Order: sequence, then C-alpha cells, then structure tokens
Amino acid sequence: MAKRVKARAKTSSLGTKIFLYVFMFAMAIFILGPLLWLGVHAFASNWTYPNLYPDGWSFHWWSKVFDDSALKTAIRNSLIISPIVVVASMIICLPAAYAAGRMNYAGRKTFLIGMFAANSFPKIGLFASIATLYYALNLMGTFVGIVIIQLLGTIIYMTWIPAAAFAAIPRNLEEAARDAGASKLRVFRTITLRLAMPGILVAVVMSFLASFDEAQGSYLVGAPQIFTMPTEMYSLVQNYPIQVAAVFSLLLAFPSVILISLARKHIIGGQLAEGFQIK
Amino acid sequence: MSASTPEVRTERLEAPSASRRSILGFFMAVPPIMLVVCFVGIPIIIALTFSFGYTTGPNRVVSIIGQQIHKKDHWWGTFAAYKDVFKDSRFPGDFRTTLGVTFLSTAFTLLMALGIGLYQRIMGGRIASIMTTLCLVPLFVPVVISSWAIHTFYAGDGYMRSVLSHVGINFPTVTSTVSAIVIGSVWTSLPFAILMVTSGLQSIPDALIETAQDAGAGFFRIVRTVLIPLAITPIVIAGTFTAIGIMGSFTIPLFLGPNQPTMLGVEISNFFGAYNRPQQSIVMAFIVFASASGIALIYIWANIRSAKQSGRV
Repeated sequence: MAKRVKARAKTSSLGTKIFLYVFMFAMAIFILGPLLWLGVHAFASNWTYPNLYPDGWSFHWWSKVFDDSALKTAIRNSLIISPIVVVASMIICLPAAYAAGRMNYAGRKTFLIGMFAANSFPKIGLFASIATLYYALNLMGTFVGIVIIQLLGTIIYMTWIPAAAFAAIPRNLEEAARDAGASKLRVFRTITLRLAMPGILVAVVMSFLASFDEAQGSYLVGAPQIFTMPTEMYSLVQNYPIQVAAVFSLLLAFPSVILISLARKHIIGGQLAEGFQIK
Repeated sequence: MSASTPEVRTERLEAPSASRRSILGFFMAVPPIMLVVCFVGIPIIIALTFSFGYTTGPNRVVSIIGQQIHKKDHWWGTFAAYKDVFKDSRFPGDFRTTLGVTFLSTAFTLLMALGIGLYQRIMGGRIASIMTTLCLVPLFVPVVISSWAIHTFYAGDGYMRSVLSHVGINFPTVTSTVSAIVIGSVWTSLPFAILMVTSGLQSIPDALIETAQDAGAGFFRIVRTVLIPLAITPIVIAGTFTAIGIMGSFTIPLFLGPNQPTMLGVEISNFFGAYNRPQQSIVMAFIVFASASGIALIYIWANIRSAKQSGRV
C-alpha cells in the first residue's frame, strides 16, 4: 500500500517539484532565519548593517551575562520556581487525571471541559483579574503568587494528557495481572503507571516548559520585585545590546531543547494531540 | 502466569461498586477544581464586580492604588468604566487590530498546517517529513525569545533587509507593523496546529484514500471529499486553540507590533501597570473574554459532534 502512495509522489511533475522546493526553502527561512540570526549574535562582537557576517567573534557577551547579578538572580529564580510548579501540578492534577481517565464518575466530562474553559480565557485578561485579587491577598510580588500563576498554565497539560493515557490502558491487562495474583498496588505500579508513563512524561515536559517560559503573568504579578528568566527578557531587550539578549535567549532555550528532545518521540507520536480530544 | 486462586476472586468481587467509585473519582478531581475555582473563577467574578464599580471588599486595595476608579451609583453598579473604554479614541483601532490579527493569523496557520499535513498524508516522502519537522521547531522556543528574534530579523537593520539589499531589493521594515504581529503569531502557533492536523489525518485509513484514487479522484477531490470531512474535529480544535491563544497574546504584539494601534493584550497590561487604570484594564479583559468565548463554543461543539459520531455520548 505504502509503495503505491510513494510511487505517485515520484510521478509528480517538474513544476510541482520546483514549487515544493521553493516552498520548503521559504519555510526554512521563515522558521529558522530569526533563530539563527539571534543565535549568531551571541558570539558576535558587533554587526554592522548591511554586512552579511558579523564584524568579529567574541565570548565577551557571555561573561557580561554571568557577571550581571540581576540576570543571575533571574536564572536562579527560574530554576527554583519551575520545578516547584511541576511537582505541585503533579500532586494536584494526576489523581484527578486518573479519575477522569478510569472512573466513570458523574461530571467527568464537565470536569475536563471546565479545565479547558479555564485555560481558554485569554491569558492576559485573566492575569489582570488575578492581580486585583492578589492585591487583596497580599500576593503581589511574591514567590507564592508567581507559583500559583504558573501552576494555572500547567493544569490543562497535567489533567488532559495523563487522563487520555490512563484511559487508553486496556483493562484486561490489569485484570490478567490481578488473576495471576498480583496485588492492587503492584498492578498499579507495574502496569497502569508504566503504560501511562509516556503520557505523564509528555505532561511533565509540557508543564515544565509552560512554567519555565511563562512571561506575561509572572511579569504582571512579579515585577518589579521578582524577575524570572522570561520576564527579565522584557527589560533586557530595552536596556542591553542585542548580543546580551541573544546570550540570554540561548540560556533560556537550553532546557526546552533538552527536554523536548528527550520526549520528542512521544510528543510527535501523538500523546500530545491525543490528549486534547474529549473522549 | 499461574491460574488464579479463589482468594483473589473473592477480593475482586468486593471491588468498589460503581457508585462508590463515582464518589471517589469525584473527590480525586477536587484539588484541580479548587485551584481553578480559587484562581480563575473567583478572580473573574471579583474582577467583573470591580468593572461595574464595586470598590469594597476584595477590590478595596486595588481601588485605593488605581486611578480614575468609578464607584457604583446604582444598586447594580455603573457602566462608567465601560464608557471610558468605548469612548477612548484608541479603543476602536485596538479592537479591530485584535480581531484582524486573530483572524488572519489563524487562517494562515490553518492553511499552512493543512497544506503540509495533507501533502504529507497523500504524497509522503522526505520533503514532507522535513517540512513537518521544521514546523515543530517553534515548540522548542520560548515566546519571548522567538518574538525578539523575529523583531530583530525583520527590523530596519535586520538580516532580511541586509541580504536583500545585496541583490538590490529594498525589503520593507516589517518590525513594528501589524504584519509583524501576524508573522510572529503564525510562527508560534504552527507546531500545535501541525500536531493536531497530522494526527487527525493519520487516523484516516489508507484504504479510503486508495479507493478514492482508484475511482479516479484527484488530489483536491480526495482532500475535499474524504480527508477534510473525516479530520474536521482535530482541525477545528487546532483552529480554536490557535485563535484563543492569539487573541489573548501579549508578548508578540508588545515586541513586534506598532505602538498604536496595538492588540488589546498589550493595552490591558499598559492600563493595569503603566497607566495605573486597573478598572479600564479589566473592562478590556472582559471584552476579550467575550470575543474568545464565542470561539470556545465552536471548540466544544466540535468535540461533542465527534463524540456523538463515534457513539461515545
């Protein structure tokens, strides 16, 4: 079957082929161009318009970032806050995801749609609403305030994706294990949890990134007392040369690249897309 | 794997009944519900009362800090803050920009995702997989970085103009225009749209496509009569997620857009912070909510429709 589909591709005309290559080239520039341009700046001493190459190469801007205490504080804040957010999100959401995936309790669908609705409010408006409440609760400019803001962005990932993963586990596997004499806990640990692991992993990665990259809300409730890496970018791009922002960007993108590469197979394999359909 | 023992059998018969499981399931769902109620539901209700001029209770502090606060003059409140916003000379332009950018960006994103997804589904091959992989790259990049990268790339002294000036083309400066917001929005929305669309298209059996091919249907006919109708739910989900995300965006219009008119996300933040007019900021937030809830309804409709079709409801 696949062979015939491929054979058709080979017969496509020269014109189609040229169009495809031009389109692919344009896509590559559209997507990679800005990133490469910014990335190269991290190692450029200076860049004069309209030269195609930088004036010289240097690591000067890296030391500038690592010597700046405000930037270092932002890096530290991000590295502390995001893991806390992910762990809190797992504790709060995973039991609910299990229940939504496995137990047919009344209101299960309402729960999932509710979690989605909470996520579908335009973010910046929601953050402004939360900020008015934060004034009353004295949470403006606090760590707890930022953790809660970032937690909200992770709920949709941590409920929907694991719920779909739990729901997809064949019941008869678990029953077979129970029949073979395994205890409930053991079945849960060795079968349920293990089979749901790819989904949970994707949820953890997406939640970590959602938290680590969250900028709008953390800025609205955190600045000017607490800056994380993304919120520091707002002032960075105004007050520093582009090379400093470039170095900082590479540092900020580092965890995403590592984590998504690790979970790439599952994310592209459909766990993410599967997780977002109500079943 | 030995045969089961009678002991295990009896234990299984004592498994929680359906109603007990139902109650347990509900309690397991309570923590995230509480979180959402406390930090999404309640703030929105409080903010709604604030927008109508209720300045006591939880709104006391923000009313003291903010400027141009309107207090309610009827039992139900006041429309004064809403009037402020609607009378503001910048609002019509901002609102149009928000809707226009949302519509255009969603349309472009869906078109690109569909084009690439459909090509990959029908033709397959190396070019298709390179393009899908390319479209996933933005998933790796935090939005503050990508917005700034796009800002500098299309700026007056950016690389786009540098390269094209060498071949004698005077490429316009895109940064700080509404087009730049659309470019940035499409850039960041592509991965999710591609993932949804391709997974939807992959689930359509090869046999259906081949039958259509054998019957003499061409590429566009197969797309129109087989692939799109069968994958409509994930396509709608991709579209609604994209539209809602873009409508409430802040970083992209802040870094890429013009100062005026801009998207409401930027104005909400400006009014809340820089101008210290929280009440007007909240009013704008509700205008965006109202626009987005229309989109969310389409999403829910699509999901219920697909659940019905597969007999799950």
